[in-house]
This record gives sequence, C-alpha cells and structure tokens, in this order.
Amino acid sequence: MQTEVEAPGVEPRDVAGGVTVAAVGKAFGPVRALDGVSLRAAPREVVAVVGPSGCGKSTLLELVCGLAEPDAGAVEAAPAALMPQRDGLLPWLSALDNAALALRVAGVGKAAARAAAHAHFAAFGLEGFERSRPHELSGGMRQRVAFLRTLLAGRPVLCLDEPFGALDALTRAQMQRWLADALGREPRTVLLVTHDVEEAVLLADRIVLLSPRPGRVIATVDVPLERPRHRTDADVVALRERALTALGGEA
Amino acid sequence: MTRRLPLLLALVALLAGCGAKSDTTTAGSGHTEPLTVMLDWFPNADHAGLYAAQASGEYERAGLDVKFVTPSDAATPLKLVEAGRVDLAISYEPDVMLARDQGADVVAVGALVQKPLTALMSLGDKGVTRPQQLAGRTVGTAGIPYQSAYLKTILRRAGVDPGSVKEVNVGFKLVQAMLAKKVDATIGAFWNVEGIQLQQAGRKPRIERIEDLGVPSYDELVFAARRKDLDEAGASRIRRFMQATARGFQLVRRDPAKGVDVLLKANPDLDRAQTAASLRATLPAFFPEDRARPWGWQDPAQWSAYEHWMRSSNLLKPLVRGERAPLTNEFLPGEGLDQGTSGLG
Amino acid sequence: MSAALIVLAGLAGWEAIVRLGLVDDLILPAPTQVADSLWTDRGLLAPDLATTTWEVLLGLAAAIAAGALLGIAMHVSPRARDALRPLVIGSQAVPVPVIAPLVVLVLGFGLAPKVLLVALVCFFPVAINLYDGLRDTDADARKLLRSLDATRWQTLRMLELPSALPAAFTGMKIAAAVAVIGAVFGEWSGSDAGLGHSLLTANGQLATARAFAATVLLFLLAVALYGAFALLERRVVDWTPRSTPRSR
Repeated sequence: MQTEVEAPGVEPRDVAGGVTVAAVGKAFGPVRALDGVSLRAAPREVVAVVGPSGCGKSTLLELVCGLAEPDAGAVEAAPAALMPQRDGLLPWLSALDNAALALRVAGVGKAAARAAAHAHFAAFGLEGFERSRPHELSGGMRQRVAFLRTLLAGRPVLCLDEPFGALDALTRAQMQRWLADALGREPRTVLLVTHDVEEAVLLADRIVLLSPRPGRVIATVDVPLERPRHRTDADVVALRERALTALGGEA
Repeated sequence: MTRRLPLLLALVALLAGCGAKSDTTTAGSGHTEPLTVMLDWFPNADHAGLYAAQASGEYERAGLDVKFVTPSDAATPLKLVEAGRVDLAISYEPDVMLARDQGADVVAVGALVQKPLTALMSLGDKGVTRPQQLAGRTVGTAGIPYQSAYLKTILRRAGVDPGSVKEVNVGFKLVQAMLAKKVDATIGAFWNVEGIQLQQAGRKPRIERIEDLGVPSYDELVFAARRKDLDEAGASRIRRFMQATARGFQLVRRDPAKGVDVLLKANPDLDRAQTAASLRATLPAFFPEDRARPWGWQDPAQWSAYEHWMRSSNLLKPLVRGERAPLTNEFLPGEGLDQGTSGLG
Repeated sequence: MSAALIVLAGLAGWEAIVRLGLVDDLILPAPTQVADSLWTDRGLLAPDLATTTWEVLLGLAAAIAAGALLGIAMHVSPRARDALRPLVIGSQAVPVPVIAPLVVLVLGFGLAPKVLLVALVCFFPVAINLYDGLRDTDADARKLLRSLDATRWQTLRMLELPSALPAAFTGMKIAAAVAVIGAVFGEWSGSDAGLGHSLLTANGQLATARAFAATVLLFLLAVALYGAFALLERRVVDWTPRSTPRSR
C-alpha cells in the first residue's frame, strides 16, 4: 500500500486560482476541529476532502473561503465561492432568483442578473423551472440551482460541502455524472468535501483523507485517471479500495 | 332723533345696570367660549335640564359652547376637574368633602339634585322593608367608605347590631348582586335610576331612602369646580352656565315630555320608558323645597350637619381652623357677590 | 364540522339555562335575546362598531410600524437592544386598566388615546416576534451570504427580513387578536362612542342583552382581524419554510 503524503510546511507556490493550506489548526473552545492540516490545490484542480462526520471538513472549507481565521498555520487561496451543505437556497426566491443571488449581492441589477442566470438554465436541465420555488424542485434540481449560483459568483475556487449528501443513491449517481460534465465545461479549482470515497474517486484529481476529530491528514491519494470515469472501471474500483483501506487503517 | 337720545341713553344705562354683577349673563355677538362638563355617570334623567338647556340654545345664548363628557367610574370627574382637564365635574357631596380633605382645592358651585338619591334596596317578596330586618343578613355596597358609614348609621338607628350584618363589596355591580341573590340588600343604588330600572323590569324592588333611616340629608349630585379656575373669566363662564342650566331645568319642569325627548335625542341608547319614569320621579328633587331659594341652592346648614356626621364617622380628618368653605352659591340665578351667604367658615 | 356542533350544543344549553329560570336574564341573557338585540339595536351598534374598528385599525397600523422599527433596531444594534429591550418588556407589565385612564388624562377623550392604547397593547408581540425571527435564520444561507461578501444591509434585506416574515405574521396575528382590548379600555376611560362605550351604557341601564350583543361584535371584530392577517400571510408567505438547523 502506497500513500503519497504532502509534507507540511512546503513553500506555497504561486496560487493564482489555486489554494494552499499550510499546517492549519482550528479550535472552537475546547473542541479542536483541525490539527496541522496541509493540502494544495493547483488551479483547475479538483481536490476531494474525505473523512467521517465531524472531522472538520466543513471548517476547512470555511477557512478557505475566508469565513474564519485559522488558529495556527496559514491559508492562501484565490477568491472562493461556497456551496453550503444544504444548498442554502432561499425558500422565498424562485429558482432563477436563487441562481442569480451571487450576482445581485455583487450589485448587478435584477434584470441583468436574471438574464445571466437564465442563459445557463437549459444547460443545467432547469428549463421551465425558472419561477419554481425551492420546495417545488427535486433534490437534484435544487443542487443544480445551488451549483449554478456558486458558478455565477465568478470566483476561481469552488468549495463544495457535501453537495450530494442529501440525495438518494440514484439521484446522487446522476448528479455525480452531471457535475463531472459541468466541470469539464467550466473548469475551476474545486475543493469537494464528501464522505463518499467513490464519489471522490469519480470526480477528483486528488483525494485528501482526514482522520476523525481532530481532523488530521492521514493520507493523500492521487487520481491520475482519464475522464469520463465510471464506477465499474477497474482503476476506479482499485483506487477506491486503496483509499478506504487508508481510511480504515486509522480507526 | 335728538329728543329720543336721552331716552335711548337711559334705556341703555338701565340695561347695562341690570343684574347686580359686574359681568353680563349674555354674550356678545356669536362668540362662544368652550366649557367641558363631566357628568357623574352616563346620561340619564338626572341630566335632563342640562340637555334641555343645550337643545334650546340656552348655552349658546349665554356665549358658551358646552360639551358633556361621560366618565366610566365615579372617581374620575373630580380627578379631572382638579387636573384642569374639565371645567366642571358633576360629583357627590361626600366626594367633594373627601377630595378637599385630601388637599384638592375644589368647591361646589351648585346642586344638581337637592336630596340624597342613594337608597337601601332589595328585591322581591323576600325583600327587606325595614332596616330591622337586616339583622343576620348580607348587604352589598360599592366599596365606598361612606356607604359603609351609611349602613352603620342606619343599623344603629334601627337598633341592629352592626356585627350581625355582613357587608360585601360588590363594586358597581349592585343590581347584578341583588339579581344573582348574592346579597340580601344593597346600599348605593339610586332610587330614581336603578330603582326605576328594576321596577320596569318587574323585579319588585323595595326602596328605602337613607335620609328617612337616620342619615343626615345632603345634595347627592353637585357641580364642582377648581377654585383656581374661578378668576374673573372663569367665574363668568360658570355663572353663565349655571344660570342657563337653571333655565333648562325650568323648561323640563314645565314640559317633562320635552325633557325626555332631548335626553333621548342626545343619547339614543337610552330606554324611553325608563327615562320617562325616572324623570317623573326625580323632578321634585331638582328644586329646593324653600321656594325662595334659586335652582341649585346648597343649604349651608345642611352641609354643615352632613360634614359633622362625616367627621364623627371618621370619614374626614379633624377639622382645621380657617378651612375655606366647600361650597358657594354665588353663581346661582339671583345670587351674586354682594348678595346672600356664600357658605361655611 | 364537529366544532360547529359543539358550539350549537353550547348555545342550546345556554338558552335552556335562561329559559328555565336558573339564571336571571338580566344577568345572563339567552342567545336568542342577544341575537334579537343585535338586530333591534343595530342602529346603535353599527356606528359603534365602525368607531371601534377605526380605532383598532389605526392602532394596529401604528403598532406594526413601531414594532417593526423596534424589532429591526434591536436586531441590528446591540446598544439599541440593551437600551430598548427592558423598556419594551416593561411596557407590558403595567396592566392596561391602569394605564388607560392616565392616557385619557393626557390625551383627552378623542380618537388619539384609543389609538395609543391599541398601539401600546399591540406593538409588543410584533416587535418581539420580528426580533426573534430576524435572529433565527438558516445557518447555511447565512454562511452563504457571508461568503459572497454581502453587506450588513444586504443580509438584512435579502435574508433576515424575508426569513422573519412568518414570525412577523405570528406577531401581527397575536396583535390583531388583542387589539380590541386596548380600544375597549380606552373607550371605558372616556368616550362617547364605540362598542366598549356601548357595553358600559347598556349595563348601566340593565340592557344586558345589548351589552352582550356589543361583546359579540367585539369578539367578531377580533376574529375578523385575525382572519384578515392570516389570509394576508397565506398570500405573502407563499413558500415552505425549511426545517434546517437554525443559527443565531
């Protein structure tokens, strides 16, 4: 079993469009969420952060998005857009207005923001649902609206916090394929938090495995596979096993 | 023209000299002064003369724009006149004495009703017809201390041990307490208002007037003003009001049906039959028994006797020498600053 | 359906108690007598209903405006909250029957004291419910707006205020239900019109059926106001609030 571990304290390279997390620690009162975590995402790289619940994955994303400061270590990241765990859609806004939210906050006028969002609706499979409210949309559609909103924030880095966690298995599989396609069309630097190792293998260029709280990097696994990937591919299965074993070894 | 001039001048001088006061009882052209009067309770037959004066334009002719205001509890009128929020309050002789005892500088300027209206009342065939029957029974009052004192005086006069009579405070629900048989009798309801209402409703009230049972007579309803407001302009207004009101009551005496009409016109929620019966019963009480005295007359001797009773019943603090008089009759028709007595002290 | 039957049964029982002479009808009139008064005295009661309704509507408008301002101010400014919250809560501790005569003493016998009393009684539920609603927003949505660099004002306008609408309506519905109380106490302390006034005068003349009729109208007025706000809420809050963990 081989693991490749990024040594902490490496000099951060030019992170234009990228993310560098260097030996970061974060505690909330007596609870230590992260301890000495380092990872790197080059521009346009998809890095999956995998670990059990409560291992500080969401905290890591918040640090990268600038919503909190680390107690120890440093974070250097290009501007990042956050897609929170439960989509964060505003229930009183239509799908179109939710998608346009980032633009509205940035000061774009209502009509222009709506037009910009609408341009992507067909590609995102949301045609005809412009005026629907979130509670009228399926789980998958809600995630797509949220993802479109995240994209339209126009930032080079995307922090996706368990985007498919609330979906059923079938929809999740569909959405994983869809996200892979979307990122193929619109490549960004992505930090994808998930508890699903298989999802990480399907979508990421590199997987960072975190231990239970306090979150530490157990291992980093490269995923040098061609896209599109399928869950039944031998390489996919093998990597999945490797990652699971690495995770399991740290019980 | 020149031959008539002295005659005209004489006439003018005569008219100007009419009335022994330095102010006039009629106004100049069209200009009216506002005057707010707070009634003692809701408009009822007691106020017939007031509404008659208003309806027939007496106040207007006297240069006054009079407004009647209804309180919702009996203590408010004196409070508001003391606070200067109303010009006149209709209140009760004992309440005026009590307010002055507390330091309020109010004075009674005329009696609306010349005798007590408070009665000892009970209902139905088992009702109390003599105070002697109160022994061992329950009597309701409105919780006002002087009503308690009335009860004790009545019982003492009747030779009943006050300890054997249970007194209950029923607030202002005197009639309801009797109807619900929570009490055997009440003191505090008026014979001309609640008494008539109960008669009309077929509940057969037994009514005893308390001045017949040993309580010294007094003026149930009086007009009270703040002494501070009795400067020249204020005194003029009060005088004009009282005199116009006297004319209103004389109107009602001549034509009681008209009195009922104006009351109902101003207060459409009154019951006609009740109001007519009440007015008929109250008419004699609007005017003093001594016909030489004007409407509104307050008998200083009677006030003195009542005040004495209040002191011996421990309702008032001990007498302070040099206290000013609680009443004045100077604003009544025919009375003036240089005529008649102006009260106690 | 069953609620209607219970009400009817209650009314029938009430009617029987009075007709059988178990209670004097001058104390408790029968439902039929009350209904008769509602019709016979409509010439008196209708203008009174209009008067009280007007007092209540104006007072509610003032209460909603004041309550909204207070709720937002307390939410946005901790200093305002510390200064205002004890006053806001304390304002409800003094019983209305005690305040009412004082208000009338200062403001007189016109419309103003009644409107003020209604506003005093009603602004509290509006302010407190709005304040709670503003704080009680979806954690993820809040994180999202922060990550988008939303200003305080944008967060208030785009997230907190819409999110607080259901709570605000709860406050307004409560206010609507109790507004009538303020108006009645105001009328009781000095007025010559209105259902509260009518109630007192009717009682003063042993016209108990009319007093009950006035009370029925007050009750219906309160119910109608509540219903109006509930209807408005259904129109305005046309989304399903999410059941997600709350943040402060």
